[in-house]
Amino acid sequence: MGEEILKTVKINKSFGITHAVKDVTVSFYKGEIHGLIGENGSGKSTLMSMLTGIYSIGSGEFILEGKKLNVKNQVEANRNGVSIIVQEMGTLSGLTVAENIFLGNEDQFVKFGIKNAAAMNRKAQALLDQYGFHHIHASTMIDNYDFEDRKLIEIVKATYFNPKILVVDETTTTLSQAGRDELYKHMKRLKKLGSTVIFISHDLEEVIRMTDRITILRDGELIDTVQSSDVTEDDLKRLMVGRELSGRYYRTDYGEPVSKEVVLSAKNVSVPGQLRNISFDLHKGEILGIGGLSECGMHEVGKAVFGASYDRTGEVALADGTHIDSIPTAIKHNIAYVSKDRDNESLVINDSIRDNICLTSMDRLSKHHIILNKKLDQFANRYAKIVSVKMVGVGQFVSDLSGGNKQKVALARWIGKDSDILVLDSPTRGIDVKVKADIYALMSDMKKQGKSTIVISEEILELLGMCDRILVMKEGAFSGEFKRDPALTEEDFIAKMV
Amino acid sequence: MNLKEFQQKLKTNKFLSNYLGIILLLLLVLVFWAVFKIITPGNFGSPDKLLSYLQSSLIYAVGGCGLYFICVMGLWDFSVGANIVLSSVLACYFSQQLGFGGLILAPILCGTLLGLLNGIVYIKLNIPSMIVTVGLSLIYESLSVFATQGQEQILSPAYRAFGSYPANLILALCAFFLAGLLIKYTKVGTYTYAIGSNEFVAKNMGVNVNKYKVVAFVLCGFFAGVMSILTISYGTSMTSASSMASMSRNFTPLMGTFFGLAFRRYGKPITAIVIGEFIISLIFNGFVAFGAPTTIQNVVTGAALLLIVTSTTKPVKGAVVK
Repeated sequence: MGEEILKTVKINKSFGITHAVKDVTVSFYKGEIHGLIGENGSGKSTLMSMLTGIYSIGSGEFILEGKKLNVKNQVEANRNGVSIIVQEMGTLSGLTVAENIFLGNEDQFVKFGIKNAAAMNRKAQALLDQYGFHHIHASTMIDNYDFEDRKLIEIVKATYFNPKILVVDETTTTLSQAGRDELYKHMKRLKKLGSTVIFISHDLEEVIRMTDRITILRDGELIDTVQSSDVTEDDLKRLMVGRELSGRYYRTDYGEPVSKEVVLSAKNVSVPGQLRNISFDLHKGEILGIGGLSECGMHEVGKAVFGASYDRTGEVALADGTHIDSIPTAIKHNIAYVSKDRDNESLVINDSIRDNICLTSMDRLSKHHIILNKKLDQFANRYAKIVSVKMVGVGQFVSDLSGGNKQKVALARWIGKDSDILVLDSPTRGIDVKVKADIYALMSDMKKQGKSTIVISEEILELLGMCDRILVMKEGAFSGEFKRDPALTEEDFIAKMV
Repeated sequence: MNLKEFQQKLKTNKFLSNYLGIILLLLLVLVFWAVFKIITPGNFGSPDKLLSYLQSSLIYAVGGCGLYFICVMGLWDFSVGANIVLSSVLACYFSQQLGFGGLILAPILCGTLLGLLNGIVYIKLNIPSMIVTVGLSLIYESLSVFATQGQEQILSPAYRAFGSYPANLILALCAFFLAGLLIKYTKVGTYTYAIGSNEFVAKNMGVNVNKYKVVAFVLCGFFAGVMSILTISYGTSMTSASSMASMSRNFTPLMGTFFGLAFRRYGKPITAIVIGEFIISLIFNGFVAFGAPTTIQNVVTGAALLLIVTSTTKPVKGAVVK
């Protein structure tokens, strides 16, 4: 038993009628990496947002080293030794790297109201160098760096002052392996210093490997805190969902022939810097997987098929010869696309579930250009129900929903549009096991209805479990092809990826 | 080294990222100068004339600096024109009472106060800044009518020093220096950018968003006040405005601000505002020399602005432009 550093006492938080966190009381020990897991919407991010000042505390107390902690924003949290690396982009465009690192903390460089930019740049560069990020320049605009580098900068920002508590909120899903390793390194470094790391992740294997203890939340309530060495992934899944997950997680059928009928074919498709001359056919009722490393260009395949790529050459055509060169053409011919970037490319976040579901079906729902709310409500309710969106009503804003429920809304939209070809990019990214199972079941249903799906995914097991055929990509081109086979293993796959 | 690494290296190269924008702008100056010089070699572009073009562009650039703080945040201030009219007539009046002290202090004080009022009303009413400032500018215009009873105000010849070199240049340089200092070397600059980039994240980092929005309006008003000193000294007289007549005064400073915004990724926005105003002044005077009617000048100036900002702004493909 370790020495307690942080305790949450009967913490509550409600958003409207959603009771997101209920009476949660947990102890965190000094020098431990403490996993925090639960389904989407189980309250883990909300709890940590209250700790770090992003949300105000509903009721209850955080006790840090015996003292009550109630901070109003992240900077105040930092001053109290608590920091967080958030799930989304946490850096600001238009500022330099150094300005981002010290945002809200400039006072140390300000004398008589004048900021010593040179000293700030020097200190930031020293930190970056100390972390081994020599390729990042402190005085450069942060806009010149990509997502991954910007996350590395956030790691520096959140850890350079050796916080007593570091919260890592689902950061790893968006990072490459190299980026993850960097993050792990600093989590372990802080642990050695006697700090506590609270680690939120959906990757249960990663959670068990990285943590000392794991706390499980379900529907806002504390379920249990367990020793990581005592549990398996299946135990955790059971604790998260509250029932045995068995049988139909992935598809179980093998050896059923796929129709010979081609519904879509891509010929010599290239996109500068992304795709090099790729060609493939998609068959009727087929689930075609595309996998590889994150940067292999596979995400661009989805955009290319949907007519959303810039400067694409080559040809994407339907069976009847129709060329798909623009998004409206694609939608008109019943092609659906669910982007990896859910919040920015897939959903209109600041709008209702109803409008999001009806968006692509407006033509069908209007009569002489007049749209009646009643009709939209009916339509949205019907499809929200089919995919079982957890919501108060279709008037609820999408921004209120958890990641998994957002994804369900995106899928409901395309099912409502009666799409024949679905292009799903990372459909289960950052989504818990239960919603995952729902999405897999939906994919199987679509297959049964004779619809074709392209699944682009970084999760190999998902591809092996769900696809009739998998194309492996490497550096913008296909490097291998596998047919559905129970004997196929991850190792076969990885060999073609790298 | 592959292409991607090379591009990244270019982007993060210190010299290029610092000076490329300025080099581009100076090239534009050269191009426009050369074009008009070739068309009308007699009446355009001698060193003397360039200095006189610079004189008017300095005035607008000072206002442009103030607007920059507003526009970076994604806000608007359409009361700058009315502010200048009111501040200028006050400058005339107070120069008679208090000499140069009145000429300088009255418009700066008036401008700053109007800026503060803009900011407070915007925060309290919580409605779009464009509506707030258009509404208030009608009131400011009316104040100028009340103050002067509609009479043209003339600045006494004894107090016209800021209408010519070197005093105008010194005052303008002070203003540019101050703006540059605020942007790069104070929290105001950092927070202005932070709020413009993502208000919610800025709030989470402990930035008092409302406070810094008011600060931006105050600064905008302050620079409009300084611009008023230069405007009244250069033009020597000012008539009160009504029914939105001051609106057109907003746009020339705003054009400079657009240059600043378009070139901000090169890190020298104030320099870009000043050179940008000079380019606009070059084009305008080029057409005067050419003898083109004013309407044509306006067409070309407008088109040139769109062209220059478009060609220098390279938005990420698919990025949302508002």
